[in-house]
Parts: sequence; structure tokens; C-alpha cells
Amino acid sequence: MDKRSDHRGPRLLRPTRRAALQLGGAAVAMPFIARLAYAQKGPVNVGVVLPLSGANAQFGVNSLRGIELAAEQINKAGGIKALGGAPINLVVADSTSTPTTAATVGQRLITQNSVVAILGAYASSLSIALSEVTERRDIPLLTMSFSDQITSRGFKNIFQVVAKASTLGRAQLTETAEIAKDAGQTLQRVAIMYEDTAYGTSQAAGIRETAKQTGITIVMDEAYPLGITDVTPLINKLRGADAQAVFPASYLNDGLQIIRSMRQQRIGIPVIGGAGGYIIPDFKQGLGEFAEGVLSIAPGSHDLAPELTAEFRQRHGYFMTHEALEHAVCLSVLVQAIETSGKADPAAIRDTLHTTRFDQGWAKAMTGGAVKFDQTGLNTLSEPLMVQWQGDDLVTVGPSKYAKKKPIWTA
Amino acid sequence: MVVIQALVDGILIGGVYAVVSIGLTLVFGVMGIVNFAQAEFLMLGMFVGYLAWAWLGLDPLIGSVIAFAVVFALGCVVQHTLIRRVLRAPPVAQIFLTVGLLIVIENAALLGFGSQFRSVTTPYQTSALRLGDLFISVPYLAAFLMSVVSGLALWLFMNRSWYGRAMRATAQDGMAASLMGIDADRMRRIAFGLGVGLTAFGGAVILPYFTVHPTVGAQFVVLMFTVVVLGGLGSVAGAIVGGQAVGIIQSLSAMAFPVQLQNLVLFLVFITVLALRPQGLVGGAR
Repeated sequence: MDKRSDHRGPRLLRPTRRAALQLGGAAVAMPFIARLAYAQKGPVNVGVVLPLSGANAQFGVNSLRGIELAAEQINKAGGIKALGGAPINLVVADSTSTPTTAATVGQRLITQNSVVAILGAYASSLSIALSEVTERRDIPLLTMSFSDQITSRGFKNIFQVVAKASTLGRAQLTETAEIAKDAGQTLQRVAIMYEDTAYGTSQAAGIRETAKQTGITIVMDEAYPLGITDVTPLINKLRGADAQAVFPASYLNDGLQIIRSMRQQRIGIPVIGGAGGYIIPDFKQGLGEFAEGVLSIAPGSHDLAPELTAEFRQRHGYFMTHEALEHAVCLSVLVQAIETSGKADPAAIRDTLHTTRFDQGWAKAMTGGAVKFDQTGLNTLSEPLMVQWQGDDLVTVGPSKYAKKKPIWTA
Repeated sequence: MVVIQALVDGILIGGVYAVVSIGLTLVFGVMGIVNFAQAEFLMLGMFVGYLAWAWLGLDPLIGSVIAFAVVFALGCVVQHTLIRRVLRAPPVAQIFLTVGLLIVIENAALLGFGSQFRSVTTPYQTSALRLGDLFISVPYLAAFLMSVVSGLALWLFMNRSWYGRAMRATAQDGMAASLMGIDADRMRRIAFGLGVGLTAFGGAVILPYFTVHPTVGAQFVVLMFTVVVLGGLGSVAGAIVGGQAVGIIQSLSAMAFPVQLQNLVLFLVFITVLALRPQGLVGGAR
């Protein structure tokens, strides 16, 4: 062997059996070495997977701003004390608006950046794809996606800080019936339309079920594709449906098109959006005065905790959207879990998340003033809110214990 | 009445589909290249229209002319520096180039504009004309009329001007056209510029009802290819017929089926047409 080796060029590049064994051994050992790194005092890597481009980009950008704000506050206040002041290091990845990409970049964060947990990915369809990866690799995923599917699959590593879509859908209908009743109208005929990915579909299911229970007739029930380029057929159907109120679950572009087409056809019935595109500043910006009076369900609202959300407005010039707020809550809760468990270790974090009630930091901004996950990972304290565009601001108008202003009902 | 309403809506939206797709068919007709990046020029046109509105206060319908001019110039540059080199290359090289262009333009826009959605506000975007029970959306009508005007202008250019004749000659036989003293390279440059410019124009005229963001092209790309293949790839008249057909099919199908299925109906018709008339509805006639 030694004799011949002289003819084979540089030693390092020679494809010998020994080199192959070394490389293979290193590859096998990698995950263990990476795991050792968790125990050290350096910055704690937290993965962030959000749709920073594509159809849901707007929401991804807002969400990231919320997370960045929370991270800065934590680092400025001296990092994670239980780990000797280790700072949070956000590792951000763009999931685009495609579920497969969300899973791919999540995988990359886990293998290459050894993140202790992942936050994201806004849209339910993205979070569901991402959660398949985090569950397989035993990394906690904290999300504010609504879909029921998030916490109904028996996953151990997923945490949903908001009420799930069917709960939101139910509240959307019952709260509205309540508001209508206060204004002297009995709600009997409603229309629902929803984008057909995980978010819209599960929210519509919540409305449908509640309508059946409460004896409200659904006179129109239409799904439409997320990238719809022409909503006129939807609005034509709505015009013929004779509904007293319409419940659309949309993101931004479809939501704007729906309201504009409704106004064109002079359909003035109340609109109760399903969060998503109805409660971000761009909705108001795109519609101007036509946004006035539009109601929506929301899992959180900036005006419940002005002392926390004011800094966001100061920094970015618009109110802290609910997705920004809830993502800040995700990070804050994660950090509290690390403080409690004293270890930046995914398994320890997961166990602490399951068993602890979090009432510090951003958790105070949620309904109930705290976050408590059950065994499925759902935050049991989260309640849906009803919000409405009044003037230039989005204000909480229900339920009454949280309301900042009275709802306006124009039948 | 409901049927008439659906027909009117379909015709209006179909006009817009036609104008954004004409460019794709024009480029193929003259150069034999399938431009996968075509929808990105739609996005660029929308951004030019948006910026003209945001900075200069111009209505997008006027801004569309600027969008045409800017993207026309850009198209000439792209043709001269990139497309020209693959005209005689194998189709795979052409596909790589235009798909690469798609990725570059989209990501450049993401870098330059950020991924936010932007939307213009115009006084007429929430108004409609009312004829009895019939509603005609003003932004759709405006976009449709602009499309008709641009379609007519293109037709006049292609059939009545020397440039148009020279361009068609180049399309038929580039070598022979060169021998007759036509600068074929120049004709192709103008054809590509016109093709992407018209698409950009279409992008700007839909701004009053559609939001713009760097990845908006993805929402239109399948539609554009459906329109041109349905009408007959390479035929300008075909793109107009195809656009109308797609608009009307989508609109009418929503009356009988859930809106979610409108593209299913569209593609069933599409497959049937391709099976019976592979050359498209107006194939052959250029």
C-alpha cells in the first residue's frame, strides 16, 4: 500500500477506504455534536420560518417585525438569564407561500443552524407542512396559524398560541348575531365565502356548524382559489343570495377585490371578515373610506395591551397587527420556557411548554393575560375578539369584557 | 338577466386577459421562442404604473402608456443582449434562458421593491354603471376599453405600417427578409419590445382593481399560456379569441358550478379544444 501511494497524488484527495470511513463517521456523529452545542453558553438560535415573498408576503413581513421587536427587547434586557445572559439569535428563512418550501427551509434550519425551536409560518397550510418536519425532528414549533388541523393530529411538538379556526368561526357568527340583536335585527340568512386552503376551509366549517346549531340559514357557501384573479362571479352570487350579512375568510388581495366589487354593485350588507386580510393596515390603505364599518374576528388585538404594542407603532408607523403581536408572544413564551427549564434543549423546552402557565412579557397581551397550552398544544386561554374599522383605527368591539368601543351595525 | 350579467363580466375580463397575452403570442409568432418570463413583465408594468401613480399622481390608465414605453425599452435591451443569442440554439437553451430571466426579474423586484402588496386608490374603482339590473364595473370597463384600443393599435401597426410588414416577413423567413434589405435583428428587437411592452401595458390597466407585488406574475402565468394556446400559439387574433373564451368560460361556469371549479371547467374545455383542434381555435391564421 505504502509503495504504491507515491503515485497517487496528494494524500488528502485520495479516495481510500480509511478516508471514506472517517467521512462517514463524521457524518454520523454530526447530529450528536450539534446537540452538544445546545448546552453551551453562546447565543441561542431560534428559527423563524415565514412567507416573506409570494401571496402571503405582507403577513410574513408584519410577523417578522413582531418577532424582531420581541427579540430586541429580550436581548436589551440582558438575554436569557438562566443561561448566563445568552442572547437570542434569530435565524430567518423565507418559506415563500408554498408549503413544500416551508418544510424544506424548516429542515435546513434544524440541520444546519441547530435551532432550539421554530416560530412560524403564519399561513395554516405552511405551518402544517412545516410541523411535519419539526415533529419528526423533535423540535418545538410555536405558531399562530388558526387551522384546527394544527393541534388535532396528536403532535407533541406543536404549540398554537391562538384559538383554533372552528372556535373563531363559531365566535364570528355568534358575536355577529349578538351585535345585530343589540341593533334590533335578527340574523337569519348569512353568506360565507372563503379561500380554499387550510385556513379558510376550517374557519368556514366553524361557521357552518354553528349556523346549523343556532338555526341560521346559510344562503351562500362558496370556496374560491387563493390566487383568484376575478371575484365578480362570487359577488354576482352574493347579490342573488339575499343575505343579511356576509362572512368572507380571505387574505389581502382577494379581500380587497371582494369589498371593491361589493361596493361597485352597491351591496351594503355588513361584512364580517375572518381575520387574515381584513385586519391589517393595507386593507384600510387600499380601500380608504370603504373600509369603514367592516367587522372581523381576530385572535388578538393591539388595543388590549397598548403599553406593549405602542413601540411597534412608533417604529413602523402603523398599529401592531395581530400576527405581529402573536408572533412576539410566541418568542416571549419560548424564552420564558427556556428560563424555567434552565436549558436551551428542545426536549426540555417542549416539556416546560406543556406544563407551565406563562404570564410574563408579551403573554400579557393575549386574552386572559396569559398563555397555557394543553396536551395537544392549544392555548386554552385564547378567546376570539370582534374588531371593527372605525375611523383610521381597528378597535376591539366585542366581547363586551374586552371591548374598547361600541360596535356599529348598519343593516 | 343573470346570464347576460355573467356574459358581460366575462367579455370585460376576457379583454384584459387578451391584452396581457397578446405579447406572449407575438414573441412566439415572430421568433419562435416561448417566453416563460412574460408574466414577470406584467409585474414590471404594474410596478411602473404603481410608481407613476405614487410619485407623479398619474392615473394608472395614463401610467399604462409609461409602463409600455419603459418595458418596451427594457425588452429591446433584453432581446439584444440575451434572447438574440439563443435564437438558433436548441429549445432547451431557450427554456433555460427565459426561465432564468423569470427568476432573476422576480428576485430583483423582491430586492428592489420588497415583498409588500401595493394598491392604488382611484375614485372610480368602487363604482359601476347601472343599466337596469345590469352592473358594469367601471375599472373592468376602463381596462377593457384600453385593451381594445391597444389591440386595434397593434393590428394597424402589423397590417398597415412598413414595420409591421417587415416584421411579418421576418417571422415567415428571416433569411429571405434579410436579403430584401430588412434588418431582421432590429425587427426581432422591436417585436420582443412590443410583446413585453403590451403585457406591461395590460398590467398597468388592471391596477385599479388588482394589487401588485413581486410574485404577482405567478397568478397570471398559467392563464396567459392557456389563452394563447387555446387561441392558437403565434396568432394575435387567436390571443384575442382565447382571452374572450377564457373570460366567458370562467364567468359562465360560476353560474352552474362552485366558483372553486371555474378553472376545472376552463381546463376541461381547453383539453377538448386541443384534442379536436390542436392548432387552437384560430390556429394557422396569423
